[in-house]
Amino acid sequence: MPRQTTFRKSPEVTRNWHHVDASDRVLGRLAARIAVILMGKHRPDYTPHVDTGDFVIVTNAAKVVMTGRKAEHRVKTSYSGYPGGLRSVSYAQILEKHPERLVENAVRRMLPKSRLGRQMFLKLKVYRGAEHPHQAQQPVPLSL
Amino acid sequence: MPRVRKGAARTKARRRLLREARGYWGTRSRHKQQAKITLTRAGVFAFRDRRQRRRNMRRLWITRITAACRMRDSRYSRFINGIQRAGVLLNRKMLSEIAIADPKTFDRLVQMSEKALATA
Repeated sequence: MPRQTTFRKSPEVTRNWHHVDASDRVLGRLAARIAVILMGKHRPDYTPHVDTGDFVIVTNAAKVVMTGRKAEHRVKTSYSGYPGGLRSVSYAQILEKHPERLVENAVRRMLPKSRLGRQMFLKLKVYRGAEHPHQAQQPVPLSL
Repeated sequence: MPRVRKGAARTKARRRLLREARGYWGTRSRHKQQAKITLTRAGVFAFRDRRQRRRNMRRLWITRITAACRMRDSRYSRFINGIQRAGVLLNRKMLSEIAIADPKTFDRLVQMSEKALATA
């Protein structure tokens, strides 16, 4: 046994691919699980200054659910700067138009806000339908 | 008392200081006063972080043990509780290293922990 704590270096990390079907999954709960995997905190050789996380593929992003009345009541606002220029879009509308964005943003906001965090985020691949172009990576279904 | 001239000694002192400050950003590695301030702060951080290192390492080991436990359908608090009841004296550093280097042994440790909890 080595006396010193093991630290992985980035070329040493072998990354796996996970696949998750987002159908009927609660948005935040799903995102929390995904964020852990992207950060690498599910592996015993987790190293804080190195991206030890795996890749995650999300399919059926258009079928995620939100509990309660959040889909209708939660809105994203943006202000154009002009008087009366406040625009608001409900989560239901985002889900319809850009389901990928909804899942991506939920996960991104759970990741560290740092260079490393942005790098981790690149390992997330979200698709609105059931298809994804990563069969060659042999993704393993993620048990939730 | 003869009058003392400072010239050479001052230059020497500045060079020593700037040698210490090598690699710092911008004027911090070039100007005497900036270098002095930065070096003092560096010392403060070094002192503080030597102490914080112990806590941070323990946190890292706990994070790693948590990951290893979850892979085996357990959780950290449960595992540690069981392992203590079982009389295992390994510290968190060694447990985390075992989890990385020797997963089979860690399997056994989780079993031991579960057994100790079942009998307790």
